[in-house]
Amino acid sequence: MKRVMKWIAAASLFMSGAAQAESVTLDIWTIDRPDQYMYLLKDEFEQSHPDIKLNIKTVQFRDMVNDLARATATGESPDVTYIDNPEVALFASRGLLLDLSPMLAESKVIKKEDIFPGPLSSVTWDGKIYGIPRGANTIALYYNADMFKAKGLDPDNPPKTWDELYAAAKKLNDPAKNIYGLAFSAVATEEGTFQFLPWLQMAGGDYNKVDTEGGIKVLDFWGKLLDEKLASPDTLIRSQFDSTGTFNAGNAAMAISGPWELPRMGREAKFDYRAALLPIPQEGATRASALGEGDNVILAKSEHPKEAFILLEFLYSKMPDVWNRFGFVPAANVKSNDPKTPAIYAVFEESMKYARNRGPHPEWPKISKAIYTAIQSSLTHQSDAKTALGTAQKQIDAVLNK
Amino acid sequence: MQGIIRTIRDGSGFDILLLGFALLYLVVFSAFPIVYNIIMSLQTVDMFTLTSFNRPFVGLQNYYDIFSQPVAGTIFWNTVKFVVLSIVFQLSIGFGLALFFQQDFPGASYLRGLFLAGWIMPALVVGAIWKWLFAGDFGVINYALTSLGIADERIFWLSDPNVALYAVIIANIWLGIPFNMILLSVGLASIPRDVYEAAELDGAGAFERFRSITLPLMRAQLGAVISLGVIFTLQQFDLIAALTQGGPADSSNVAQYWSWQFSFQTYEISLGSAVSVLMIIFVIVVAAVYVRSTRHEHSY
Repeated sequence: MKRVMKWIAAASLFMSGAAQAESVTLDIWTIDRPDQYMYLLKDEFEQSHPDIKLNIKTVQFRDMVNDLARATATGESPDVTYIDNPEVALFASRGLLLDLSPMLAESKVIKKEDIFPGPLSSVTWDGKIYGIPRGANTIALYYNADMFKAKGLDPDNPPKTWDELYAAAKKLNDPAKNIYGLAFSAVATEEGTFQFLPWLQMAGGDYNKVDTEGGIKVLDFWGKLLDEKLASPDTLIRSQFDSTGTFNAGNAAMAISGPWELPRMGREAKFDYRAALLPIPQEGATRASALGEGDNVILAKSEHPKEAFILLEFLYSKMPDVWNRFGFVPAANVKSNDPKTPAIYAVFEESMKYARNRGPHPEWPKISKAIYTAIQSSLTHQSDAKTALGTAQKQIDAVLNK
Repeated sequence: MQGIIRTIRDGSGFDILLLGFALLYLVVFSAFPIVYNIIMSLQTVDMFTLTSFNRPFVGLQNYYDIFSQPVAGTIFWNTVKFVVLSIVFQLSIGFGLALFFQQDFPGASYLRGLFLAGWIMPALVVGAIWKWLFAGDFGVINYALTSLGIADERIFWLSDPNVALYAVIIANIWLGIPFNMILLSVGLASIPRDVYEAAELDGAGAFERFRSITLPLMRAQLGAVISLGVIFTLQQFDLIAALTQGGPADSSNVAQYWSWQFSFQTYEISLGSAVSVLMIIFVIVVAAVYVRSTRHEHSY
């Protein structure tokens, strides 16, 4: 009898456990590997929210837009997903994302005013908010302080203007030792546009207005760096990751890249590396910087929007830790907890204030293609900067005026 | 019912059944995708309308858009250069090697087998390796060329717009040689020895034997290898993706990669379809030549 009672007790315990486990499961898509962002935060979230389970699926970065578009067409889309900044408008404009504005207005965790203007603009479409930045990144000038000293440059006074950048690159350039002055990326992909836009914005222009005096000035400046071999000709085909690799290996004295490089730089670079704000055209010019990283969005068809928003709030609350844990710059005005490499962190944190969004426009890839095509045809001297940018402007106008 | 079973077991029903399987396969896996592709090339298609047929019909507008792109001419000529140069060198080097390994020397067949290693490797891997070889600043080829004194300056194989296309072609030639060699070796082996012996007795020299025996008897194989080579070269995507991605400034871009760029980079799927339809037309012409060249075999 006692044994039977025990069984019943155990069974009832099991039943109540099962009843409790009747929780909501959110389908999550991410570009992370199992040692990154979403996977690391999953356990913490599930512990603090036992009634919400996360079912994470990794999608390759380059496949995300295609897969998501197909999934929304066939009705198999996730509840929450990562979307790269410039692609939010594409999905938002088609009504595929949930408008977060009403929930945001009542949220105690996320304050819209805290989010920096660049990241906020990337999730805004038609006055509504469609995503929460998970962090941000931007670009700055890394430099090899040891090489600065060796060539008689002051490592505490890195180049501030384009002229100073050119002079430094010329001085640091050392073909006999296989050292280029500067490494950056002018590759014919989104990355090329990403690196180019801040230069254009500083010189007067933007994605919708590229055929400006400033635009010509940037391309002529880049062309000069390449023609005089102060940057490798392979700049045309190297991604930012590959370019920065040459900096880490000591084959370039300076590099333009973002904070995502820091973990690898910490392992590979055997020298004193530092960072500075992106140089400006001349003293007193407006600053600009690129805005990278992506956003957590909720799909309009999600059956659990309330739980999904709780997840977004949780993820946002991790903003003070994103620098140390994931290599993002906070996308909102929060105080980072004891940031690693504090000097470099300070540079990126300041850059973030000048970071501008790409677009937003639902057909961003076409605009981006027009821009990187102009960069490439000018740098390969297939056409001069003015003609190349004029052609790009026509293509961009055709997209914008549709 | 009995009648149906009987005709299937022994009669015209069996033939129809076999034919049916083959036709069904062709319709599902060849005809449907081609027709679907042609339909898409006449519509406006993006990622979100990919699953429905109900899309705006635009006639030949996509083809007009393709030809009015400023890079269309460059890409067309690049494709022609890519195909012609790849085939010419793959075939002549492959044929030369096949003739060489046809000679009787120790280890000939093992060495010939080793050549297949290149063909077995995925093009993406081959591309990654050639990318290291071709690298401008630290590449093996540049190191060899400059230290041997052949070139004064480094050649930026993959980022110099005048060179990039040829770098891709060189890698593609290397990749295609083993296939050409093996197919041609099989053909060479099937030519009876005594024909050569008789010719030799009649006083024909090596070149004369090649010209009047080998070449005519290899006609069908050569036709097949060239047509398959054209098709394989037009399929070559991975190598370009791994080496130059069509750049810099589209200087090494070819039709098949262009089509992919439209469909998956700027999501203009209908333009991508239009380019691939143009390629299909070209391949059909080549296939027709191939069929004609193999028709001779049956008459023997």
